[in-house]
Amino acid sequence: MDFILQEVLPHLIKGLWVSIALIIPSALFGIIIGVIVGSLRVYAPPALKKVTGFYVLIFRGFPLIVQLYIWYFGMPHIGIFLSPFAAAVTGFSLCSGAYHSEYVRGAIQSIKSGQMQAAEALGFSKIKAVLYIILPQAFRRTLPGSSNEFIYLIKYSSLAYMVTCLELTGEGKVVASLTFRYTEVFLMVGVIYLLMNSIASFALKRLEIALEIPGWSD
Amino acid sequence: MQEKTPILQIKEITKCYGDKTILDHISFDISEGEIKVLIGSSGTGKSTMLHCINFLTKPTSGEVVFEGRPINPNSGKELIALRQKVGMIFQNFNLFDHLTAKDNVAIGLIKVKGLSKEAAFERAMKELDQVGLKKLADNYPSQLSGGQQQRVSIARTLAMDPRMVLLDEPTSALDPELMAEVLDVISDLASGGMTMLMVTHEIKFAATVANEFIMLDSGHIIEQGPPDQILNNPQHPRTQQFCSMLNEH
Repeated sequence: MDFILQEVLPHLIKGLWVSIALIIPSALFGIIIGVIVGSLRVYAPPALKKVTGFYVLIFRGFPLIVQLYIWYFGMPHIGIFLSPFAAAVTGFSLCSGAYHSEYVRGAIQSIKSGQMQAAEALGFSKIKAVLYIILPQAFRRTLPGSSNEFIYLIKYSSLAYMVTCLELTGEGKVVASLTFRYTEVFLMVGVIYLLMNSIASFALKRLEIALEIPGWSD
Repeated sequence: MQEKTPILQIKEITKCYGDKTILDHISFDISEGEIKVLIGSSGTGKSTMLHCINFLTKPTSGEVVFEGRPINPNSGKELIALRQKVGMIFQNFNLFDHLTAKDNVAIGLIKVKGLSKEAAFERAMKELDQVGLKKLADNYPSQLSGGQQQRVSIARTLAMDPRMVLLDEPTSALDPELMAEVLDVISDLASGGMTMLMVTHEIKFAATVANEFIMLDSGHIIEQGPPDQILNNPQHPRTQQFCSMLNEH
C-alpha cells in the first residue's frame, strides 16, 4: 500500500493532469468544430458542402493513431513543427469534430422545416435563423450522441503517449516498467479513467436536464 | 376620386415544380386596409401563392411589387426588409419550440429589429395581452393549446409592425372549439384596419371580413369579386360547383 501511495500515485497524478489538459481543450474545440461543420453540411453552398463532407470522410476514416503520427512525425517534413501536446490536441479535436458534426447534422435535419420558415418569415437572415432558432434546438438533440463522443475522447486521449506526450497511460507505462507491477498500475490507471468518465457522464446528464424544454421531445 | 396605389402588386407570378405548373401567370393587387381571401379546392396553389409573396417559395417567374417597388428575389437584404413588412401566419403555427411564448414574440424584435431586451419584452407582453395570453407568457409552445399557439404566433407577427399580413389557413389545424378564439383575433385585426391576404376554408367567416374573394383553380384566377357576389351569384362553372359544395355543409 505504501509502495502504491509513494511510488505509483504521484506519477499517475502527474499524468492525470496532462490527460485533463489534453481532454478539455480537445473536447471544446471538437464540439465547436462539430457544430460549425455540421451546420455547413446542411446549409452551405454545394462546393463547401463537398469540402466538409471530405473532411468528415478523412478524419473519421483514418485511424486516430495514424492521424496523430501524421501531425507529429509527418508535419515537420512540410515545415510544421508541433509539440507532442499540440499534435495530440490537434489530432483529437479534428477527429472528435468529425464525429460531433455527424450528430449535429442529424439533429439539424430533425428540426421541423416550419421553424426555419417562421424565422425567415419574420425577417431573420438564414445565418441568424440558424444561430438563434435552429442550433439552440439542434444542440439539445445533439447532446446524447455528443456525450458518447466526449466519453470516447477521454479514453482515446491515452493515444497521446504514442506521440511522446506523457499523459496518464504514458506515466502508467513508465512507472510499471520501473517497478514491474503491471497489474496494479494498469488497474489503477483503468480506475482513474473510469472515474473521469463517470464524472463526465454525470455532468453531461445534468447539462441535458438543465437544457430540457418542458414537453419538447419529438 | 383618386385611386389608391396598391400596397402589394402581384404581377404574372408563375410557379412550376419540374414540368408541373402550380401557379400560371397570377396577377392581383391589394390596397391599404383591404382584405382579400384566396379560395378554391385543395391543391390549387393557394398556399404556394402566399409563400411566393414573401419568397419563402421562389416564384419561377413574375414580379412582386411592394409599396411601389419591385422586389429582387436574389437580394437577401430586400427579402429581409420585405418580410418584416409582410407578416405571415402559418397553418401549423410554427412557434419556436425552445422558447416561451414571451420569447417567441420578443426574439424577432431583438435579433432582427435590434431592440433592447427590455423594450422587446415590454412590447411582447403588450402583444400577448392583445391576444389575451399575458398570463401564459412563460409557457412553452408544448404547454399551450393549438388555439393559444396560433394566437401567440399572431402576436409574434404583429410585434414586428407589419404593413400587411399573409394568413395561410390559420385555423385548419385547429379543433372547432379552438377555431373561434383565433377567428376572433383575426376579426379584431380586420376591424383594426390591417391589410390581409388570407387562405382559408372557413368561407362563412371569410365572407364577414373580406372585401374580395379570389377563386383559384389549377393555378389560375377564374373569378374574383365581393364575397356575396361570389357566393350567391358565381359565374364560372368551377366556382358554382365550389359554392354548391359549401352549401351542403
